[in-house]
Amino acid sequence: MKRLQKDRIDLINEYLKSNKLDSELLPEILDHLACEAEERLWDGKPFEQIFTNIKEAADGQILLDLSVDHKNLLAMEKSLNDIVFENRNKLYGAYDLRRGYGQTIQRSVMMGVALFLMIVMFPNLYARLVPDPKPDDIAYIVEANPINIREMLPKLPVQEVEPSPAPKTIRSLPPEVLPDDQVEIENLPPLMEELEKAQPAARTLDGIEDITIIVPPAPETGSAKSAIAEVEVKKEETFLNVEQAPQYQGGVEAMTAFLQKNLRYPSQALRAGIQGRVFVQFTVGSDGKVENATALKRIGFGCDEEAVRVVKLMQSWLPGRQAGVPVRVRFTLPIAFQLN
Amino acid sequence: MENNTTSNEYVRGTLKTIVLNLLAEHERMYGYEITQEVKERTGGAIALTFGALYPVLHKLEQEGMLITESVEVDGRLRKYYSLTTPGNEAARNKTNDLERFMEAVRLLLAPRNLATE
Repeated sequence: MKRLQKDRIDLINEYLKSNKLDSELLPEILDHLACEAEERLWDGKPFEQIFTNIKEAADGQILLDLSVDHKNLLAMEKSLNDIVFENRNKLYGAYDLRRGYGQTIQRSVMMGVALFLMIVMFPNLYARLVPDPKPDDIAYIVEANPINIREMLPKLPVQEVEPSPAPKTIRSLPPEVLPDDQVEIENLPPLMEELEKAQPAARTLDGIEDITIIVPPAPETGSAKSAIAEVEVKKEETFLNVEQAPQYQGGVEAMTAFLQKNLRYPSQALRAGIQGRVFVQFTVGSDGKVENATALKRIGFGCDEEAVRVVKLMQSWLPGRQAGVPVRVRFTLPIAFQLN
Repeated sequence: MENNTTSNEYVRGTLKTIVLNLLAEHERMYGYEITQEVKERTGGAIALTFGALYPVLHKLEQEGMLITESVEVDGRLRKYYSLTTPGNEAARNKTNDLERFMEAVRLLLAPRNLATE
């Protein structure tokens, strides 16, 4: 086989280039034509004729069609992005973003759907993984050994409560009204002598004689109320008659001695020969002091003033008591003036 | 020339099948080799022009039927084509299709009495 000379190959190459054959197609077509030329050289034809034949077979139109076909084929591969970014900087980043857009969207949709499903199915999944314990499931077995607590606890000393001494009582029931034939002679009310030593009760008991049962006072319902009551007590009422009348300390004799010692017969009355009784009214306070002493019935001649003066000197009285509480009592004391 | 153009009209539809079939028989071929093979086996009845052949080869390559390798021969780059696995599959299918089509065309072209016989 005859080899085609280099300059002749170049000749064909130049021809193809002058017809603007696509550079990607060029080597292949060149090889094809060169093969054809070699074949014809083998047949003994001059190269000039062969070259003319080649030019006829591969005229400008055919080569152009080839180029166009090839470009169309490549264009099918190109996407819109390739066309948009044809003459722009593809390294800038926007090209990569746009090219990966579909993939990114696909991935994000899948992730979103997966996440959504996970959230929706989570309760169900959790219930599957952590099943509710059935009522007849035995979780664990506990062996119960009875422990004797009494051995462990130290024995506490038992405090024997002494029975409080029962007071001596005697049967004393309120008398019932019954027909004569039903009256029981045994249930006679106690005699006074018996009651002196024992307390009346429903039954007769042989207890201790000298017990006074002290009943604790009833609990006060409120301290505020009692404070108000105390304020009211301070406005002391002045009594006229009380259960226990005020008394001079030492009794009537001591008072008489005090009056005889302190009273002086007024000289006016002595000269005029006046005698009689002066009624002095005064109040004995709850503290035993004499207040507001005035003469009620007067005899004049200085006797009234003398009587009031002496009464005011009397300071040590025992206050009158009402229900055991010392109270103010208005008291009238007659003081007699008598000439011997 | 007249004969050549008419044959080209039918070749255009069957060219893809012809190329696939030839490549199935050979391990690898280059463009000129294919045209020579066709010319020799048909006794020059079918002549492939490179203007028709190469677009078909490129299209098949893009479809993934063929892969190419370039080898330098005599200072020129020669591009060899060979079938891929889907290309093999396509070659079989297309050959079968063409054979069935040719049978049908034969029935159509044959005289009626011959066909019914």
